[in-house]
Amino acid sequence: MRTLMIAAAICTMSLGVAQAARAQGRSKSTSVSARAVTSAGSGTAQNQEFSLAEGEKRFRQNCGRCHVAPDKYPPRVMATVLRHMRVRATITDRDAKLILWYMTQ
Amino acid sequence: MISSAPVVGESVDLANGTRDYHKVYVARQHAGPRARGDVRWLALLGKQMICHIDATASPRLARSALTRAIAVASKCLAGSVLLLLALPLWANAQSQQDSPTLPKPVPVFSAGMGFITPFEGGQPHLDPLISPVFLVPLGEHWLIESRDTFESDLSTPPGSNSFHGTVEKEVDYLQLDYIANPYLTVTVGRYLTPFGIYNERLYPIWIRDLQSDPLILPLGTGPSGAGTGAMARGGFSISPRVNLNYAAYFSVLSTISRLDSDRLAGGRVGFFFPGPRVEIGTSFQHLLQDDHSNAFGFHFEWQPSVVPLDLRSEYARSSQGSGYWIEPAYRLSQITKGQDFFSRVQLVGRMQQYFVGKAPAEDPLPVDTKQFELGVNYYFRSDLRGVSSYGRQFSAQGNENVWTVGVTYRFVLPLGNGEMN
Repeated sequence: MRTLMIAAAICTMSLGVAQAARAQGRSKSTSVSARAVTSAGSGTAQNQEFSLAEGEKRFRQNCGRCHVAPDKYPPRVMATVLRHMRVRATITDRDAKLILWYMTQ
Repeated sequence: MISSAPVVGESVDLANGTRDYHKVYVARQHAGPRARGDVRWLALLGKQMICHIDATASPRLARSALTRAIAVASKCLAGSVLLLLALPLWANAQSQQDSPTLPKPVPVFSAGMGFITPFEGGQPHLDPLISPVFLVPLGEHWLIESRDTFESDLSTPPGSNSFHGTVEKEVDYLQLDYIANPYLTVTVGRYLTPFGIYNERLYPIWIRDLQSDPLILPLGTGPSGAGTGAMARGGFSISPRVNLNYAAYFSVLSTISRLDSDRLAGGRVGFFFPGPRVEIGTSFQHLLQDDHSNAFGFHFEWQPSVVPLDLRSEYARSSQGSGYWIEPAYRLSQITKGQDFFSRVQLVGRMQQYFVGKAPAEDPLPVDTKQFELGVNYYFRSDLRGVSSYGRQFSAQGNENVWTVGVTYRFVLPLGNGEMN
């Protein structure tokens, strides 16, 4: 019983820490996003991983295994399709983001 | 009874004749990096627990050992919970720190449709099909998705010159997904049974390279190809060279028309190697009704980067039967002369065999069957395709030719503002 109470306390604490970290991560993400968009807009070097070449590579590795490349749809449509395909084809979180980046550029 | 001599760093409580597991652990922790890194003490701990639980000479000792075992198990459980919560926390922090702004999703309506004309044994059929898909994202982690199928198999009855048939309606899936973290997605509702790869990934009419179903498709996926219940699934990278994907599910019995499913449980695990673009995986399923039989299968996919070739194959075995299919598909994009034409052409082949098992059924087949098919597809656009194939089926019921000619089309429409603000 005591162990269960300790486990419950750990879970509660973890959830609290997770929420706090998520909120912190969002604020960091916003600033990093701003930098990424700015750098992309100015044509300077940006995050190397979020490049079209890397996105295309992940697209061919994941999506191209089952079907041909679709036409590019509006960005928010692609976001939905990627969420759908992430679940359907068990695409990794990282690959899904890179593919979405590639398909919306 | 299993016994073992004390190892370096292990303490033995001689007063009550039992080893003190906590002392063993503490001693191990203080025995130096080499001893701490040695996982043998874990095995020893397990052996000693079993040893004492089995001991009948002293029930008190057995109870004591059991209590300690429960305590250790509880701590392990608490540790696992903590780890599961900590992993996504770390992963979220990692992914959010280096991700650019990505668009927010909008509800989407999509559909795949086709008009296929198969000739089976010289008898023409007309098979129109439409399969609408609705995707409704909710917040950052939720998704409602559904796919229905409306299809008809029109044929000419004996003595008639016109085509007759009925429209069959089926809910393929209607599910709620919760993307809990990069490692786990929880799905509830009606879902496509993740047995093998064909049912989940290759079934839609606009994706499949050959329009006929593989003979072994009903093995492991059931009569409707769907389950009703809950599923945990996900895909993540376990090293830069390997991605792991998994699905574990439980389905209840449903006899509701168009929503039928069996009571079963199962899972699938796949390893994808991004470098050579190879995936290998295995599926398992246990039926929790009727004959309580098991089914298992293997799948293999290879898409070499230097050649526009897709090679897919599956093997499945259940009490109904067993079989395999192998399907290579090759795009003629390497032909430089007339590339605008040839890059749109795809050659497909499929070889498959089915062997009847201990409990044969009408579906998939009541007799051993062998079938090969060759097809040519032409992509007018990425979403519009002409398909054709010729195949021959060999079985004890008689051999027959199977011709297919048709068109497939797919569209995607946003149900809202699709542009990013």
